[in-house]
Amino acid sequence: MATSEPYILFELVGTPYAVPSSVVQRMEMIEHVTPVPNAPSYVDGLVFSRGRVVPAVNLRRRFGFSAAEYDAKTRLIVVTHEQRTVGLIVDSAREFMTIPVDAIQPPPEGLAGTSGNYLSGIARVADRVILILDVAEVLNHGGGQFPTGEDPKA
Amino acid sequence: MATESADVGRLREETEGVTVAADELARIAGQVLSGTKAQAEELEGATSTANESAAALTETARQAAAVAGSMEELASSINEMAASIEQVNSNTVQFNVGLTETAAAIEETAASIQAVTSKTQEMATSAIEVRGAVVEVAASIKGVSEDTTSLATAVEESATAVEEMARSIQGVAKNADELTTAAENAASAINQMASSTEQMAATAEGLSTEVEGVATGIEQVARSAAVVAQSADKITDAANGAASSATQLDRSIHAVAGLAKQADETTRRVARDAEEGGAAVQKSIQGLGRVRDSMTQSASLIKEMGKRAGEIGGIVSTINMIAERTNLLSLNASIEAARAGEAGRGFAVVAEEIRNLANRAAQATADVASIVRGLQEAVQEVVAASNEGAKVAHESSQLAESGMAGLKKILGGLQDTSQVVGQIARASDEQLRAGQHVVEAIGTTAAQSRQVATASAEQTKAAQGIAQSTGQMRKIARQVAQAMGEQGRAARDIIKSGQTTRTLAQHVRNATGEQAAGASQITQALTSMRRGAANTAQAVAEQSKAADGVAQEADRMARLIGDVAKAMNEQSVASNQVAKALGDMRRQSGQVSQAIAEQNRATKDMTSAADHISKQMALITRANREHTIAAESILKSLSEIRGVTERNNQSMQESRRSIDGLRERTETLVAIAGRLGRVNPPPRPRRGGKQ
Repeated sequence: MATSEPYILFELVGTPYAVPSSVVQRMEMIEHVTPVPNAPSYVDGLVFSRGRVVPAVNLRRRFGFSAAEYDAKTRLIVVTHEQRTVGLIVDSAREFMTIPVDAIQPPPEGLAGTSGNYLSGIARVADRVILILDVAEVLNHGGGQFPTGEDPKA
Repeated sequence: MATESADVGRLREETEGVTVAADELARIAGQVLSGTKAQAEELEGATSTANESAAALTETARQAAAVAGSMEELASSINEMAASIEQVNSNTVQFNVGLTETAAAIEETAASIQAVTSKTQEMATSAIEVRGAVVEVAASIKGVSEDTTSLATAVEESATAVEEMARSIQGVAKNADELTTAAENAASAINQMASSTEQMAATAEGLSTEVEGVATGIEQVARSAAVVAQSADKITDAANGAASSATQLDRSIHAVAGLAKQADETTRRVARDAEEGGAAVQKSIQGLGRVRDSMTQSASLIKEMGKRAGEIGGIVSTINMIAERTNLLSLNASIEAARAGEAGRGFAVVAEEIRNLANRAAQATADVASIVRGLQEAVQEVVAASNEGAKVAHESSQLAESGMAGLKKILGGLQDTSQVVGQIARASDEQLRAGQHVVEAIGTTAAQSRQVATASAEQTKAAQGIAQSTGQMRKIARQVAQAMGEQGRAARDIIKSGQTTRTLAQHVRNATGEQAAGASQITQALTSMRRGAANTAQAVAEQSKAADGVAQEADRMARLIGDVAKAMNEQSVASNQVAKALGDMRRQSGQVSQAIAEQNRATKDMTSAADHISKQMALITRANREHTIAAESILKSLSEIRGVTERNNQSMQESRRSIDGLRERTETLVAIAGRLGRVNPPPRPRRGGKQ
């Protein structure tokens, strides 16, 4: 394991989160979301991303926050895990940071209720507390059936 | 022959008695003649005086007519005056008191004028009567004087004839029948003469009555003159009172004029101030308009600026978008570079720098955006403030407009007030002039009153002089009547003597010798008669002079009456002027309520006084006409007196004829006696006959 890993930092409801850039395919602005009937509530719909169809998960809803309007800062983070590609709709995503491993601590068990097991750790960088997102849990937990995307190119 | 001498002696005695009687007759005739001559001259003087009085009456009538005309004009002027009284503004109390006093003084003056004029009328009447009677008396006296002269001439002739008779009587002796006849004729002639003498006595009585009437008239005149003098004094007092009232009036009018001038100046000053205020308001209105315009301009400029700011905002958001996309791009590049591992390190650096650049751009645009927002907010505030300011300027302008309208109204009101005050000032000036006229007219009235007083005093004196002269005339007339009476008595004596003579004629035959003496005595008696006739003429001349004196006095009195009437006229004119001047003053007196009421009252009094005066003038005219009629009747009386005098004249002529007859008879007697006396020369007793 490397001493530090690059992360994409994004904000959700004023809280900074991070997701390893290795799982991120790309980032985009929200252009147009096509709603899908009978989809789970945290799924806003489908988006087109570089010619491929990707489901868009409203992370605010996924974490139990109320949904917000899209604005110029809203980003779509396209992540892949085990051949499943999902787009995560976040409030904003502007930073690319390399976080040392020893800065990350494991998440405390007391947080299981609110965010579930979505956090893989908590990082402390320059007086900032950043929540490391566990993408696998986000994609898997919830049990909702949603269509999977193609594997991203390696 | 002795018997004849006794008869002749008796005849002579009787003849002597006749001579005495003839002497008596001559003396009485002389008195008559003196009296009648004086009367004649006095009558002549009185007649000319009466003519002059008649002329003066005509003049008075003409003047009275002129006064009546002036009265009419005065009445209409007073009407105009009453109609325009309401316009004067003045110092009320003093002005009205002065006017009332002046009007009362004028009333008094007018009443005094009227009293004096009526007294003047009476005086004129009496003077005319006097003058007329005096004229008649003078005429009759003149006639008598002529007759007396004729009588004197006849007496002369008689004396001459009797001398002749005396000369011839020496050689005459005729028969007694002729004597008797002659005596009888003489007796009848003496009868005639006696009757004519009685007639003369009667007419002389009538003349005396006429003279009495004249004297009474003169006394009336003297009384009237005294009353006029009293009235003249009263008029002088009234005029003095009016003069002092007029002076007060003048003072109060001066005060009014001064106040009116002050009010006029004050009004003008206030008007000027109002105009200046109006100009200032106008300027402020204009300034507010300019403010509003500039505010509107500013607002539109600000809006323009706001629009530009909006455009800047649009550009800034575009730039912001570009910065976001650049950031995204850089993130993607970093992701790919990380995936490439070592090979992508350089690429990751580039991506990092791009990201920094994009972040810096985003920050800059955020700053710009906040500035633009601030700018837009400021613009909003400015627009709101300028809108507010424009509203305030509009409201101020409206207030200024209404202020301007108010000032214009004030100015209009001030102009009206100034006009009225100017009228009042002009009216006060005219009142001043009219008041001065009043003062002058009253001064003239006072001077004329004093003249009238002086003239009245002189009149009184003249009337008294005339009364004296008339008294003398009265005395003379009485003397004449007395003389006539005595003449009658003497005639009766002569008749008696004549009768006795007739009786004794029988016995004369023998007494002719003594007739010469008797004839010479008759001659003497006739000489005495001649002398007596001359004295008669002289006495008549004196009476005539006395009548002249009376006529002169009557003349003077009539002249003085004329002066008084003229003075009355002038006084009336002066009263008219005063009244007219009062009218002028009233026409210009204005808006003081008390002054108007009192002035109205005084005007009414003056109107009624003017009417009164007009009526009095009409009365004067009528009285004048009556006086003229009276003068005519007096002239008629004079002519009657003249007739009386003529009758006197006739009587005198008859007397002369009788005396002629007497002379003839005496001649005859003497002739007969002479014839008889040639035998017996008679003694020659002398008797101092009465002259």
